[in-house]
Amino acid sequence: MPSIRLENIVKNYGTETNAVDRLNLTVEDGDFMCLLGPSGCGKSTTVRMIAGLESITAGSLSIGDQPVDSPERSVFVPPEKRDIGLVFQSYALWPHLSVAQNVDYGLKLRGQSREQRRRRVDEVTEKLGIGRYRDRYPSQLSGGQQQRVALARMLAVDPQLMLLDEPLSNLDSRLRLEMRAELKRIHGENETTVVFVTHDQWEAMTLATRVAVMYEGVLQQVGSPLDIYDRPINRFVAGFLGVPPINFIDLEGDAEHVRAAREFLSGRVEDLDRIGSLAFRPETAVLLPAEEAAGAEGLVLPVRFDAVMPTGGSWTIDVLSGGRHFYLTSLHRPPFTDADDVRVVVPPEKVHVFDIHENRTEVQGA
Amino acid sequence: MSTTELNSQPSTRQIALAGPRGKGPRRPLGQRFRLAMRNPVTAIGVLGLVLFAYLIVAPIVSLLLDGFVVQRRDMAITMADEGSPTSYYLWRVFLSPFAWSIFWEPLLNTLGIAFGSIVLVLIVGITAAWLLVRTNMWGRKWLATALIVPYMFPSWTFALAWLTIFKNRRSGGEPGWLEVMGIAVPDWLAYGQVPIILIFACHFSPFVILLVGNALKRFDSTLEESSRLLGASRMRTTFSIVLPILRPSLISAVTLILAKVIGEFGVAYILGLPVNMNVLATSLYRNIYSDQAGSAAILAAVIVLIGAISLWVDTHFLKEAKRFVTISGKSGSGNTVAQLRRSRPFATGACLLLFAVSVAIPVLVLLLSTIMRRPGDFSPGNFTLDFWIGRDLPTTGFEDGLLFNTEVLQAAWNSFWIVGSAAVMAGVVGLLIGYVIVRSPYRWLSTGLRQMLFLPYLVPGIAFAAAYLSLFSEQRGPLPALYGTAAILILIYFTEQMPFASRAGISSMMQLGSEPEEAAQMSGARWWKRFFTIVLPIQKGALATSVLMAFISGFKSLSLVIILAVPGMDVLTTLSIRLLDFGYLQAGNGVVLVIAAISFLGTYTVQKIMKTDLAQGLGG
Repeated sequence: MPSIRLENIVKNYGTETNAVDRLNLTVEDGDFMCLLGPSGCGKSTTVRMIAGLESITAGSLSIGDQPVDSPERSVFVPPEKRDIGLVFQSYALWPHLSVAQNVDYGLKLRGQSREQRRRRVDEVTEKLGIGRYRDRYPSQLSGGQQQRVALARMLAVDPQLMLLDEPLSNLDSRLRLEMRAELKRIHGENETTVVFVTHDQWEAMTLATRVAVMYEGVLQQVGSPLDIYDRPINRFVAGFLGVPPINFIDLEGDAEHVRAAREFLSGRVEDLDRIGSLAFRPETAVLLPAEEAAGAEGLVLPVRFDAVMPTGGSWTIDVLSGGRHFYLTSLHRPPFTDADDVRVVVPPEKVHVFDIHENRTEVQGA
Repeated sequence: MSTTELNSQPSTRQIALAGPRGKGPRRPLGQRFRLAMRNPVTAIGVLGLVLFAYLIVAPIVSLLLDGFVVQRRDMAITMADEGSPTSYYLWRVFLSPFAWSIFWEPLLNTLGIAFGSIVLVLIVGITAAWLLVRTNMWGRKWLATALIVPYMFPSWTFALAWLTIFKNRRSGGEPGWLEVMGIAVPDWLAYGQVPIILIFACHFSPFVILLVGNALKRFDSTLEESSRLLGASRMRTTFSIVLPILRPSLISAVTLILAKVIGEFGVAYILGLPVNMNVLATSLYRNIYSDQAGSAAILAAVIVLIGAISLWVDTHFLKEAKRFVTISGKSGSGNTVAQLRRSRPFATGACLLLFAVSVAIPVLVLLLSTIMRRPGDFSPGNFTLDFWIGRDLPTTGFEDGLLFNTEVLQAAWNSFWIVGSAAVMAGVVGLLIGYVIVRSPYRWLSTGLRQMLFLPYLVPGIAFAAAYLSLFSEQRGPLPALYGTAAILILIYFTEQMPFASRAGISSMMQLGSEPEEAAQMSGARWWKRFFTIVLPIQKGALATSVLMAFISGFKSLSLVIILAVPGMDVLTTLSIRLLDFGYLQAGNGVVLVIAAISFLGTYTVQKIMKTDLAQGLGG
């Protein structure tokens, strides 16, 4: 199974800004790579360029050792010759063909014998649990079944690479969970290389071996899901991952929470003017009575207790500091009322620090 | 940063926003060209541009040129060589002593007829639309379909029915029914503007009913209700709220009718000729027949101009209409229906009367006229089926009944195969062009095709035919003279249908989207394979519909071919006019009935295929 190499790729549709800007990314053999980002960030464009449905404007794209799109070398391999499978967000099942015919289409093009094809169609549809719908038409299937047919159609021809463009976004949450497990199983069994596009961080975290976060056409960070969650490379990545979102403290003005942030930084950094903001994740902070928090190491925010919202298995706690809301999560209902004098305490290694260019910066003991 | 790979760029937003200015980077031109040509879409599009430059742009240019260069027959008058530039025709049409009869009088007649019929059609159409959509009148559902029927008949069907009843001694041949019964019919009632206006009002009322009816249907009745709640009377609400909001639809209907009335030939020819009344279309026809190609060209240009202006007005207001749609937004509350009580039977009665006048009576009259030996004589002995199935009839040169007559059969066969092949071509090419327009990465290609294919819509049929006559009447390059052949008829039917066929193609390709085809591409299918196994099979219903629509529209079209068809190469429509010219009332009416029946059945079938009834939204 091959790797994909994207070198300095630019995609421009004739507008002022590039849809994808100087993208460098290597998808290793056997990776389950998730392209993650808000809509319009260029992730779908990237997948369509890998597939060959869009040509690149500059840079070079190779699959295995073979360059498949490179303006410099005047190379462009059309999609039908790249041997790549793609599942569309809309599934793009052919409405005039039955399930079996949909799955069979690619096999037929590869000139396999009738018997071979029939066996393969049976095998793949059986495996995905749509065997008994073989003679139905796509319009007679539910969304989840259509999704399986789209997967079967791609798997039938055993592509060397699988691309999935937001394949789960049209399913309800229960089906999503089921299909996620299915995808993980398929990836494990076939040991194929998979590139998966999603705007859903949850999906990316649970499925991927590696995640690439994109924003406005620019790749922000690549790494394992936990790595990206724990060590976001810049403010955007930090803010994009996590529910409830990470809490930022901008070092501007002189409010209560800003003073606390400065206090945390003093002695840890030499040049305070270099720092733009701090951040901490809701689950890394604890809420303590003022007396217990005194002398605690790390970021200590004086807060006023505002509200507690149950979210089922856990609690989301809303606190106010310097007129701003901060959110914490806890497995237990906090034993406070809004009259109590409380502090939020974040251990120093859990505090993220970003410079004035919004990039991560390492500080002593953090 | 052990496992974290860093993007080589230092930051995030700033960089993306400060991307390359202006046009941005592009692949080298040569490569872009090769990539483009690998895509058959581009090749087909370029081919289409060339083809339609020849079939649409060239004839129109050639026609217009005829108006500004000396024609052979006018060499003596202009004292100039054939082909040298001249303003003689402009003078002749607009200023000369003949200008009154060539241009000004026909123009006044045309505008008068257009004005009269539009006023009448608005009154009738709006009332009917309101009754159908917004009241609890009886029989709404049935009437919603029935009142659309006049549109399915060729317009001059009504003219023939009119003549059958009202014809007086002024013109030769069989007398009209009233004349036979001893009632002297004055000329103004028998011929000319009055009957033409009435007939257009009948024929075009479906347009207004459909356009206004649909607008009323979409109209959020809370808008009316809020006006009423603020204290406005029903009348005031109608004039200050309802009509202004309906204005775009009304203007759309008016301009559409105007454009059609101006190009209409058949009705004015049948009812104007006996009293020597001309409209622009018939004046154009007479100039062509008297070999006045130059003057004909100027007239055609005027017709095109009026058509273009009215359609420009239409698209202008269409934009406005879109604005209105966004304002009303998500209404969803539906319509309240006015509860008629005592007036309920009157409402239904009025609509039934409209149906009788615009459908039932004309069809019945025509049918009766073809089974009566002498017009207007209702004694049992006068009825006969001879004109349908008889032999050795007294009509010279047309001795057999319609169903056996070789001329009719020949014309019917011509209609079927000529219009049929043109319709198939139009459907297939329309789908391909729609494909190119939707898929082409090049804006110049899609816009070029779109605008070029819109031109025939601007040019009324008779002017377009004049253009074809001008271009294809003599040998040009490798192409032989096409006048009098089936080829020229096929070409003009085909081209005339392209605006609609390509629109149909565009909309069905839009609906399909690009993903099913891209999925086939990912499965390894090349373009031809994709087109024939995915695109075409999915679109076969849409294709069938557009072929059938093109067929019906061509089948009943008269003005498009009246100057191109020659005896021996007649289609049914031109044959019917030829028979009437001979004074063979029964035969002519019979042929028209056949045309109306086929066109009605065809339209009906299209609606069944599409499973969407034109009038479905309107009633009940």
